[in-house]
Amino acid sequence: MLRYDSTSSSAGSSSGSLSSSSSSSKPPQQDIDGLLAGAGYKVRSSELRQVAQRLERLETAMGNSPADFSQLASDAILYNPSDLACWVDSLLTEFAEPPPTCSSDFIVDPVNNQTVVNSSWTAAEPHTPQVHQNITYDEQQSLDNQLTVVTAMEEDSGIRLVHMLMTCAECVQSGDLSLATSLIDDMQGLLTHVNTVCGIGKVAGHFIDALSRRIFQGMGGGSVNGGSAFENEILYHHFYEACPYLKFAHFTANQAILEAFDGHDCVHVVDFNLMHGLQWPALIQALALRPGGPPLLRLTGIGPPSPDGRDSLREIGLRLAELARSVNVRFAFRGVAASRLEDVKPWMLQVNPKEAVAVNSIMQLHRLLGCEQTRNSPIDTVLSWIRGLNPKIMTVVEQEANHNQPGFLDRFTEALYYYSTMFDSLEACRIQPEKALAEIYIQREIGNV
Amino acid sequence: MVVPLNTWVLISSFKLAYNLLRRPDGTFNRHLAEFLDRKVPANLNPVDGVFSFDVLIDRATGLLCRIYRPATAEEPEPNIVELEKPVVGDVVPVIIFFHGGSFAHSSANSAIYDTLCRRLVGICKAVVVSVNYRRAPENRYPCAYDDGWTAFKWVNSRSWLQSRKDSKVHIYLAGDSSGGNIAHHVAARAVESGIDVLGNILLNPMFGGQERTESEKRLDGKYFVTLRDRDWYWRAFLPEGENRDHPACNPFGPNGRSLEGIKFPKSLVVVAGLDLIQDWQLAYVEGLRKAGKEVKLLYMEQATIGFYLLPNNNHFHTVMDEISEFVSSDC
Repeated sequence: MLRYDSTSSSAGSSSGSLSSSSSSSKPPQQDIDGLLAGAGYKVRSSELRQVAQRLERLETAMGNSPADFSQLASDAILYNPSDLACWVDSLLTEFAEPPPTCSSDFIVDPVNNQTVVNSSWTAAEPHTPQVHQNITYDEQQSLDNQLTVVTAMEEDSGIRLVHMLMTCAECVQSGDLSLATSLIDDMQGLLTHVNTVCGIGKVAGHFIDALSRRIFQGMGGGSVNGGSAFENEILYHHFYEACPYLKFAHFTANQAILEAFDGHDCVHVVDFNLMHGLQWPALIQALALRPGGPPLLRLTGIGPPSPDGRDSLREIGLRLAELARSVNVRFAFRGVAASRLEDVKPWMLQVNPKEAVAVNSIMQLHRLLGCEQTRNSPIDTVLSWIRGLNPKIMTVVEQEANHNQPGFLDRFTEALYYYSTMFDSLEACRIQPEKALAEIYIQREIGNV
Repeated sequence: MVVPLNTWVLISSFKLAYNLLRRPDGTFNRHLAEFLDRKVPANLNPVDGVFSFDVLIDRATGLLCRIYRPATAEEPEPNIVELEKPVVGDVVPVIIFFHGGSFAHSSANSAIYDTLCRRLVGICKAVVVSVNYRRAPENRYPCAYDDGWTAFKWVNSRSWLQSRKDSKVHIYLAGDSSGGNIAHHVAARAVESGIDVLGNILLNPMFGGQERTESEKRLDGKYFVTLRDRDWYWRAFLPEGENRDHPACNPFGPNGRSLEGIKFPKSLVVVAGLDLIQDWQLAYVEGLRKAGKEVKLLYMEQATIGFYLLPNNNHFHTVMDEISEFVSSDC
């Protein structure tokens, strides 16, 4: 069987001589394989292996239905063939079996007016000798079923979109809302020329929506979070499952906490945002296995008050208590309901002076950075009472992006970089609906910026 | 067996695209083929020392050629009226190139062939004329050969392509896959008409025959190419009702003709060791030898089809060096 040598591809790749964009957006073009560019194909070197794998899958799929595929080819929606990755994906969608659907699985994406299908389907291809078989068909986004073939040059449109986004953000910052509005219209038009299933088109679409919401809500700062806390929880949960970032953060934080608690018999963890408490089972189990036996663990979980009378904090606490009991860890839980972190007072946490305290903040501190630089800004308030707790350790996880600058344009630029990367990384996610919902979660975050 | 990742991606995507284009009933989805083919325009601005322009050679058939010339030091940016300025040099090789594609795919302005022709200009210090011959199945045998012959006569009659030494055009014929096949047949017709061809360069030339050879059976489906698709292309090109022992497909086969006593040019034949039709290509070389013709065989054991499209492997560089030497040995 002919295999490709994935290590030697770097010998052939170099920056293609493509028109370089002078905007400050992250230029994906630098990574384009120069040799394939000479042959008329734009593929990122970092994506080559993925494209190769997808080509193999396509070959398997075509092998399964040889009589139909030339007919299917005529009906396939084929985007810019220079973008090999997207072209192969379009064909894969055509040849893959349609997913089983039921009405409760449709989730309407309010931002894009697209319907995201819950495609939790299993591998369908039978065995053929040439292709290795551990691949499951599960990652394709649904495409609109138009029978048009899009022939526009996507590359140039992508660059133009980024330029226009930056200009529009500048207008918003300087208050020129009429120009901003017309730019939004132009960008919507451009979007139709661009593949919005992947790449810059998709990210640009979200940013355009977020920008237009901001414009039409007037200049207000602060959170534009339209969803309920419950919705947010669901999105958060799926985001957690889709990406490795949070799991990794939890793992690392727990490790640090474990080490800090070494030698202490009474330990107290303060979690700034309990959510589903996904971080703590691992810590409880690790403490259970500690040489010398587990300490008494107290967990104080802070979270927003539940809207409908449910005490979600308590429910999570109960579940964690169950787990702790099952591994013989003495455990006590306290929930503190507060809609804003700066409303929490230290006495609510009931910290015992003899305890070893760990303060754990996952993506909470950046919310405290407001536009006002007053004397007692929220971040100062919170940091000072944390100091008052005299913790053994404080674990902080934040996004690596400067999303809180006072200047809107700066925030916008940072966000564009950051979320483009996030979306790109999400492309690697293979599980649905986690991936789709994770994207909605990110969209909300974009809206917040 | 391992090829570089980007080569694998390129050839595989061709293979899959071509699968979509060939219909079981023998027709070809030309519309989709043209959409998928990556093309580049001619460029009067020299890129890496080479500029190109397109010429309509035969109005009746719409035959186009793309001409590649080296940019000179005095004329770094050619003026549009000076495209056909006489070549400068005692001996200037002119390579007439026939692109591949199994007689059905690609064009002279396909990106991969534009790249290859530009490279040939550089390594051979030659003018390259790439012929946009009519393709199957819409245009069967002998259209491609007729177009090749038309282009040949046109090139031969251009005074601006004449070398100073003898006021003659120094012509080489070159091609890959089906282009190699065309080069052979055009050369045969040229020498019959008394016009000299200085050399043939055949890269993985497309030949075949009715019999199933050992290499075809052994390598069927293993390296991007299947026997089934080879058969499809021959059925699309050859006259209806003819089989693969037709002399176009099998020039030294049962219906072929020996070249003994004919002033056939020297040949450089490149055969890829992983090409399933290599037995036919080797038989072609053998046929030339038996007829007493000068032929150099370059057998690249580990090479697959299309290895000459990307400069990321040793076979590529070996072959380019040999071509350069083959062409320059007349200077």
